[in-house]
Amino acid sequence: MKIESRTTAESPAPATTIVDAKAVHVRHRLTPLIFTALLLLLPLTLLAAVSAGSTAIPFATVLQILLNGSHLLHFRESWDPALTIIIWDLRLPEALGAALVGAGLAVAGVLFQGMLRNPLADPFLMGTSSGAALGAVIAFILPLDTTYGLFFSLTPLLAFSGALLTVLLVYAIARVGGRTPVVTLLLAGVVMNALLVAVQTLILTLSPQAQFNLQALFNWLSGGISVNSWWPVMIVGSLIMAGIGGALVLGQVLDAFALGEEGAAHLGLRVEWYKFLLIMLGSLLTAAAVSISGLIGFVGLVTPHMLRLLIGPRHRPLIAASALGGASFLTLADLLARTVIAPAVLPVGVFTALIGAPFFLYLLRQSKKEYRWS
Amino acid sequence: MVVNLRPESGNAPATGDFPLLDVRHVTFGYGLQPVFFDACLQLATGEMVGLLGPNGSGKTTLLRLLSGVLRPTQGEIWLQGRELGRWRRRELARVVAVVPQELHMPFDFTVEQLVALGRLPFVGLLGSYGPQDRARVEEAMQVTGVATLAERPFNELSGGERQRVLVAMALAQQPRLLLLDEPTAHLDIRYQIEVLELVQRLNREHGLTVLAAMHDLNLAARYFPRLVLFQRGVVADGTPAAVLEPRLLSRVYGIAVQVGIVRGTAHFSVVPPGSREEQEATEETAAQEPPPRVFVMAGGGSGERVMRALADWHIPFLAGVLNIGDSDHTLALRLASRVLTEQPYAPLSQAALEELRAALATVETLIICPMYVGPGNVALLREALSVARQGRQVLLLTPETVGAEPSGTLQELPALLEQTGIAARDYTGGEATRLVEQLLQSGTRVISHPTEVLGLCAVQA
Repeated sequence: MKIESRTTAESPAPATTIVDAKAVHVRHRLTPLIFTALLLLLPLTLLAAVSAGSTAIPFATVLQILLNGSHLLHFRESWDPALTIIIWDLRLPEALGAALVGAGLAVAGVLFQGMLRNPLADPFLMGTSSGAALGAVIAFILPLDTTYGLFFSLTPLLAFSGALLTVLLVYAIARVGGRTPVVTLLLAGVVMNALLVAVQTLILTLSPQAQFNLQALFNWLSGGISVNSWWPVMIVGSLIMAGIGGALVLGQVLDAFALGEEGAAHLGLRVEWYKFLLIMLGSLLTAAAVSISGLIGFVGLVTPHMLRLLIGPRHRPLIAASALGGASFLTLADLLARTVIAPAVLPVGVFTALIGAPFFLYLLRQSKKEYRWS
Repeated sequence: MVVNLRPESGNAPATGDFPLLDVRHVTFGYGLQPVFFDACLQLATGEMVGLLGPNGSGKTTLLRLLSGVLRPTQGEIWLQGRELGRWRRRELARVVAVVPQELHMPFDFTVEQLVALGRLPFVGLLGSYGPQDRARVEEAMQVTGVATLAERPFNELSGGERQRVLVAMALAQQPRLLLLDEPTAHLDIRYQIEVLELVQRLNREHGLTVLAAMHDLNLAARYFPRLVLFQRGVVADGTPAAVLEPRLLSRVYGIAVQVGIVRGTAHFSVVPPGSREEQEATEETAAQEPPPRVFVMAGGGSGERVMRALADWHIPFLAGVLNIGDSDHTLALRLASRVLTEQPYAPLSQAALEELRAALATVETLIICPMYVGPGNVALLREALSVARQGRQVLLLTPETVGAEPSGTLQELPALLEQTGIAARDYTGGEATRLVEQLLQSGTRVISHPTEVLGLCAVQA
């Protein structure tokens, strides 16, 4: 209605803008629908992830076992008691771990894309990936029993610290005279990435133990959810949930950042402080996720981008939707990784890349606008 | 030439009748490179002021200082009787709003979402939008005529529409002072008018105080009752009639212009030399005017009195070589026929030296002001010496504090040298003092009062 009255009142607008305006209208109506869909999708994917595997367990049984565990209801155990252990101690932690990692990476993606004002930014941009990888490599070659996958082996701890330390270092390097220009930050990140990869290669080449663990390391680097007890899920889960909460609080800041740093300052924001907060929050989420999953690409890049197309750019809804969407996406990818050539397990990173990379390329070619770093 | 003097801000008390905005002797530079020196400017509530100046004159930097994004290197900016550094960012955003030149928006925000961002200083980061905020957003969109575009993505709008949306966003901040950075720079003529009409309406009907950096002199003359010409400092401040003075503009912008009232309009127009014939015509008229025969060497404020005196007596003069940012440079831009210029703080370059020699060739009287002499400008005295040796008149001004002695040539050389006070201003390790001594030996006269210069120059002319 409004659109039509406008086009007759003023010079006729090109047809494309009318379509776009309608798309925005549709988007407004769709938003609640999409949230409902995402809220339904997540439990369904979790259920599917728990039920599928080397031994397929019917949905009904899975539900009954889970409800029994809640101690609120009690179903008569008409199944193999081993299934209870498989579900509670193996599949559920892993599925929840995947969901948490997906949510964390997706929200970190929103934070970095919003702060850098570039819809094609990614959580690993600031050196988190190479820092985590170096930490993991050190854990692998240390003469301790750090078998990949064991509860609280050194690997997640060192990966987590490596990621956070790298980002802190990159931030410190890029800070000049009380300001941290985005371009400097990105360049420092790129250089730090290259440096840490070189150090990692050097360590692997010089270390005699490396050959024993190379396969495990390769798996870690290609990304795979490695959880088989509740503790890491609890710890990583609380970090990621806290991170998402913080991100939701900073949603309005990200909206203001879309105007550019100076525009944000004109709206009364202390830009440098919030930039620091956003970087740290994004890196905390990334580091927490990486510590139990290894390097999983594309979740943090593609999820926010896709949801921005669906529900629009306002950051609070976008963060909530990305958390839900990323969780479902990675749970599903993990499910596929475990079942496609079962009993062998493929690295999850392979699946996210197989889905994510073509989508990313499609976006690159579709986008008429040029993306700027400024 | 009717140019208002810079408003002397002085130390106005913080209470009572203070201006909305008071820029007090603000100097700013990035690193060691100064952008401008000692800028003073006052804005009263309800004014609509256009800020003019060529590219790189520091207009945008001044606006960034006023919006609190940058801090002055020296001097103070007072807003509503409070120093800008003592405002909290969020408080400031409720009084001062900025409309940028243009906005690159990476995401598909709709017009309404964007305008609503203007409420952030009120809503806070944790808060949510209340009915009052929504009302303000709606009002801002109504006033700027973008309400019908509320659901459209900002990126799909035309340039003029985008600019109006940015004004709407600024209005949602309910500011008292609106700063605009060349709001029409990227617009075609229709939208330029549209945006400026809007700003004018906001100023007249809503009492919003406006300061806008403007590129287009004609639009500035048409819409702004007060103009400030900026060239690394405030060069002129007043009505369009006073500021759009052809000689002033041609010196500041470095191009000959004509200013007049085009038939059927009510405002000034500035016309650059259009065709070659026209340009030749202006050059011809310029040639008919005799070139100035007086040259002033000054620096650091030492030339102020003599330059003002010459201007009052309508004696045309050249000035140089002055560093950009030097207070004498700013004054000379206003008063002298031509100013030889050197980069800020830089020593005299070879190019400037050659320009100086060319300029001195036609000069009959050279006035040397009591400036400080260092390695950077000692070359001026060497050139002065060669002028003196050619038998032309060179006048050496003494500092104000001396000057009790009547000037004359009958005194002994050491006493004269003493009178010039050069020893105290010599930072070249004696070379400047030797040069002054040689100047005195070559017939240079020591003058203790600037008005004496007038007689000597007038005789020559």
